[in-house]
This record gives sequence, structure tokens and C-alpha cells, in this order.
Amino acid sequence: MPMNILIVDDSAVMRSMILKSLRMAGLDIAAAHQATNGLEGLTLLNEHPIDVVIADINMPVMNGEEMIQRMKADDKTKNIPVLVISTEGSETRKESLKEQGVAFIHKPFSPEQIRDTMNAIHNSAGRT
Amino acid sequence: MTDQVKETIYRVAEDVFEKLAFLFSFREEEREPMDYGAAAVAGVTFTGQFEGRLALAVSEEVLPELAANMLGIEEETTREEQQDALKELINVVCGNLLPELAGRKKMFNVNAPLILSPEEIGVVTAAPPAAAAKLALEDGQCDLMLYLDEGVSLDPESSEAP
Repeated sequence: MPMNILIVDDSAVMRSMILKSLRMAGLDIAAAHQATNGLEGLTLLNEHPIDVVIADINMPVMNGEEMIQRMKADDKTKNIPVLVISTEGSETRKESLKEQGVAFIHKPFSPEQIRDTMNAIHNSAGRT
Repeated sequence: MTDQVKETIYRVAEDVFEKLAFLFSFREEEREPMDYGAAAVAGVTFTGQFEGRLALAVSEEVLPELAANMLGIEEETTREEQQDALKELINVVCGNLLPELAGRKKMFNVNAPLILSPEEIGVVTAAPPAAAAKLALEDGQCDLMLYLDEGVSLDPESSEAP
């Protein structure tokens, strides 16, 4: 089933790379919404039906961690799967994200990593 | 220790350049630093286990290929796209470098990367870096400089070592 995704990253180049990788990976994307920070991301989540959120951590205005916290605190968005794609290399922060049920891919990434992780998210969401 | 830090910068930069921008690089330790006034220079500051700044200078000639490779397009890229690509490149290099230097459990906050003005380049490069790497790319050169705040040392025997 085609997915509606939201990509949240302050870098236009990175948003474009992620979208290209999703398409190269053969994922069926119905709509790809884009936001430059967490606050914009939350606004788009309220305006559109989103199946998966792909977000960076370090962003101006509102970072990815705060956006995820607000998503988890809102009944309308708490069950939307989140994939963080970040340069963040700290195992401590990665563990913290994992505890919140957030998938993680480290930059630089390959289209295969995105495909495998997105398929795992999709399968997991389909089981619940 | 500086040699170890330098080796780590080389290793991380070579890996990120290849994987993120599809650019192959070669070490050029013996050459003089680039003319930063004639280069595109990005900088990023970080806080955490230790604090400082990473600067990345790239020949102007490299920018179109860098941006086109990262965007996956063959058309001409805009100046904004080229600068965005350079900022993302230093962001990923810095994000990968710090845990390599400090250990994977240490947390850092990497601030938003910036393109440095000629005045800012002068200020940043006035002091000698803690460690630097000089690379050759197909269409130009690249210098990476790691600056650490006063009192910070990466020497394991130092009391302030990570």
C-alpha cells in the first residue's frame, strides 16, 4: 500500500537525498511532505495523513527530539512510526531513541539501509 | 596524540566524502594549506564532552560536482544548493568525527553549520588548529581543521582529556 511520508530536515540537500533513496529503494510513496524543523513537522502532521515520519535530530527552531516527544504526547500522532536519520553517533542518545520505539539510521546512509528499515517499520505497523 | 587525531579526521573525511558525495579523496599531507580566501569555507561549532569548531575549506571548482552528486542530478546546481551541500557535508563529518575522538557513549550537540564570510574565515584560521587534514579531490582541494576551545586537550594524559 502506498505510504504518505513526512521528511523533517533543515537541509534541502538531505531531504532530496532521502527522497531519492526512498524511490531508489523501490518504496511505494503516495505523498512526500517536507518540513525544515520539528515545529513545521508538527503542523504538517496535523494537516495531512502521515504513515511514517523521517526526521533529523539537530535542527533549528525545534529539534527532532522535542518533535518526537510532542508526537508521543499527542493521541493523534503517538502511534505514527518515526525513523531518525542523523549524524548523531552517541550510543547513549541512540539507546534513548530506541526506548521510545524510534528507528535509527546513521548518516551517511545507503538506499538499502532505508529500504530495510522502512520495510521493518511497515511490517511492524501492519502487525499492530 | 595529534597524529592519532589527524588520522581519525582523514579516515572519517575520506569515508563521508565517498559515501555521501561520491567523491574520492587522496591525502596531501606535505602541501601548504589552501588559500582560504579563494575557497568555500563552512564551519560548525559543537559542545559536549569537549567544545570547539570544525572548519572545512573546499576549492570553488569542487562545489558544482559536490552538490550535483549529493542531489543526484545532472543539471546545473544553484549557489544555494552548493552551499547547502557543503554545510551538510561538514555536518556529517563532524557528527561522525566526535564520537570517534571521544568515545561512542559521549554526547555532543552539533550546532547548525554555517558558510563563513572572509572576515570569519580570518578569525577562525588565525590560530593554529589542534589537528588538520589536507586532501586532494578530482577537481580541487579540501582542508579540514579541528579547533578546540582553550584548555581542551585530546591528550589522554591531560586532566581534561575525554
